[in-house]
Parts: sequence; C-alpha cells; structure tokens
Amino acid sequence: MSTVILLLSLALGTYVVAVLEQWASTNRLRLAGPVISALRLLGQENILPRKSDRLFFEVGPVLLLIAALLSLAIIPLAPGLIATDLATGALFFNAALAYVLVAMIMAGWGPDGAYGMIGGWRFLGQLIAYAMLVVMPITTVAMRAESLSTIDIVASQEMLWNIAYQPLGFALFVFAGMAMAFVPPFDLPVATGELAGGVEAEYTGARRIVFRLGRMVLILSVSSAIVVFYLGGWLGPWLPAWAWSMIKILSVAALMLLGGRMLPRIREATLLAWCWKLGIPLALANIFLVGILVLVVPL
Amino acid sequence: MSVQLVFLLAFGLAAVWFGIVVFRTHSMVRSALALLFSQTAIGAMFLVMQTEFLGVLQIMMMATEMSIMAIFMVMFMMDPGGLGEMDMKHQRKLSLGAGILAFAGATALALLADWGPIATEIPDAGEQVRLLGFELLGRSMLIFESAGLTILTAMIAATAMAVQAANRPEPAAPDRGPDRGKQHGH
Repeated sequence: MSTVILLLSLALGTYVVAVLEQWASTNRLRLAGPVISALRLLGQENILPRKSDRLFFEVGPVLLLIAALLSLAIIPLAPGLIATDLATGALFFNAALAYVLVAMIMAGWGPDGAYGMIGGWRFLGQLIAYAMLVVMPITTVAMRAESLSTIDIVASQEMLWNIAYQPLGFALFVFAGMAMAFVPPFDLPVATGELAGGVEAEYTGARRIVFRLGRMVLILSVSSAIVVFYLGGWLGPWLPAWAWSMIKILSVAALMLLGGRMLPRIREATLLAWCWKLGIPLALANIFLVGILVLVVPL
Repeated sequence: MSVQLVFLLAFGLAAVWFGIVVFRTHSMVRSALALLFSQTAIGAMFLVMQTEFLGVLQIMMMATEMSIMAIFMVMFMMDPGGLGEMDMKHQRKLSLGAGILAFAGATALALLADWGPIATEIPDAGEQVRLLGFELLGRSMLIFESAGLTILTAMIAATAMAVQAANRPEPAAPDRGPDRGKQHGH
C-alpha cells in the first residue's frame, strides 16, 4: 500500500514541479502545460546526431532519471512512508546524486556536439564548486541526529527545526542544492540563450522527455532533501504527516524555481571562487559551531 | 549457492568486465567511465557483503573521482575521442607479466593468509557506522590523517604549479605567421 502511495506522490510531485518550472520560465501558469509539452515532444522526430557516441547518448538521460529516482528512495514522507530506511540514508542521497554528474558528462559527450560537450564539462566544474557544500552541511545534520538515517534526522528536529538550530548550514545547503539541480541562476550546463540548451541541445523527441523528466525528479529530490534535513520533514501541527511533507517539499521547489529566476546566471569562475573562498570556510565554521551547540545545548 | 553469493559473483564479474573494457576502447571518456563502472561494481559487492557504509561511500567517491580523471585525460590526450584509433595498450609483454604476477600474488595472499576467525554475526548497518567512526578516530587515525595531509599537500602544490604556469613569461614563439603568437597570451 505504501508503495502505491509513494509512487503516486512521486508522479504528482514531479508533475507539479514541471508546472512550476514552466511557470517560472514562461511567466504563464498552465496546469496542462507539461502534458502539452510531452505530447509535442513525442510527435517530434528522434534525431540521432552523426558520429555520436551512441552508448553514452542513449544512457545519459536514463541514468539522470535513475540517479534522481534512487536519491528519492531515502526520503520519508511520513513515519513508515519511505521506500527504504537505510542506516546510511544521508550518505546514500549524496551517492545517488553523484551519478547526475556522470549522466551529464555522458549526455554532453555522447552526441558529438560542441554545445553539449561544453555543458557536460561545465557541470563537472560546477560539481567541484558545490560538492563540499552539500556534504558538510549534511555532516552537521547527522551530528545533531547522531545518525545518518533520514527517519532519525527528522525525529531529531522534534524540538527545534534545523533551519533554526543551524541556519548557516541551511543557507549553504540550499545554495549547493540549487547548483546540484542546476536550476537558475546555476543552470550553467543547459544555459538556454547562451549554450543553446547545452547538454539538452542535441536531444529531441522521446530522449528529451526522459532528460526533462529526470531533471524534474532531481529538483523534487533536492527540495525533499532540504525539507528532511532542515525543515522538520513531516513534523507540523493539525495536518497529517504526509500533507506537511508535500506542502513543504512543493513550497521549497516553488521558491527555488521562482526565486532563482530573478537572479542573473552566475559565471563558472565566480561560482567556484565563491564556493571555495567563502562557502567552504563557512561550512567548516558551521561544523565547529554545531559541534559546540550539540555538546552545550542538546535540544 | 545462496542468492548473496550469486550477486557477489555477478558484480565481481561485472567489475572485471568493465576493467577489461577500459583497455578495449579507444575513447578516453569511455575508458574513464568504464573504470568508474568497474569501481561501482566493487561498491555493489560491498553492499552485497552487507557493509553498507563502505559500499555507499565507494559508489559515491568513484563517480566524482573518475569523472574528474576523465576530463584530465581529455585535456592531456592528443586524441580523446579515439577517432584516430589510438591504442590504450602499451608495453604489452611487461604489463602482461606484471599483471599475471600481481594476480598470482593477490590470490596466494587471499588463500594462504591467516584471516583469523570469520565473523559469524554481522553487526547492523548503524552499528557498523559507529564502529567505523571509532576505528577512524582511534587505531587508524594516524594513517588516515597522514593520507589526508598528503593529498592536501599535493592539491596545494598542483594548484600552485597551475597558477605559476599562467604567470610564466611565454617563450618567444617561432614565427608561424602574423596571428599565431597572439593566441598564447591568455
């Protein structure tokens, strides 16, 4: 039963994220938008670029989707409503999303096109910027919960959500999460208008649908992780647990997509400089601070 | 034969197969990613052996490490796409001999070494993470800290060298036409 509920909420969540994404990029809220886009893409010719690395070209989008889906496996929507409660859940989330990078490199290299290739390698540079800022805030969350299990992490926020307990970690994790899901202003690998779609550029028809779907699930997954690690997961008054989870996850996705659109696209070098010169020292300071807090004020 | 053993064998064979693919392809990116999937298969073997933390860690680390290796291979190789039929195999006789010797040594070690009593009960995954933490901050601390420090030193040295290369005055370019020399100055 819980499997059915999880699958249904996954489908619903992905659809809502797709609607939000379209709203953010076109300024028009169309509930049927994703269906129309999907039908249009299905009707499109499936073009195979000449001299493509066929294996990478085909595997890239599928791997993106699989990585994003796997990372959602450790997200609890309510107590007991989780695909698999791993003892290393928080680490597993990161491990699954590391393959987003592999998928992007494959999809960028595969079609033998300049835009795609630049986009794929750009994402590698982006990973070097954001990777530490994902791992270090997760470390502090796990320090407080004294566990890597996502269920325990939510339970540890019963008294006070992590957004209040470790606001610095929250800010860094949201920043890094947005870069990980390459939503604007961190959409360097796809960069519409600058790289002509980047990694997406050579994909048409059904393959493009899979790529887009993978990206929507990825945005959903990052929003869910922000909610589970920092916003108390399913915790909240009056409403049932699953409802709180869904409201929070979709609000975070909406804020990320609509807020990010307001900012100018960041340059790769600027992103790297910020992350390494400012982000990592702050993340280390956060580990130190939370370490003291956990010992002195164990809420 | 238990299901566990079947999966262990399957992932082991996959790891070996991807290892072979590394040398069968001409493309640098394919080669690097084949190595990545070989290491991922080893991570999956850890998972089958119920060492969850080590498995997940292996699977996570290799994805980024091998991708970074891929871009360096692309940057340094003359023919990264493998379109010029560049060969991955060099010094065949020497490497074949070294490979056979290493394989024989590893097999002999595996069979002959005294592994002590084999654990009959596997601690649950959460307990394993705890035990690993104590191991890393106890007996093995010196090894890990010195390894970490070595890597950090290497990183700083590599960065320093890269920065210096950009500032180094360009050698006088041989005269190859009016515009060729200008491309170097960035």
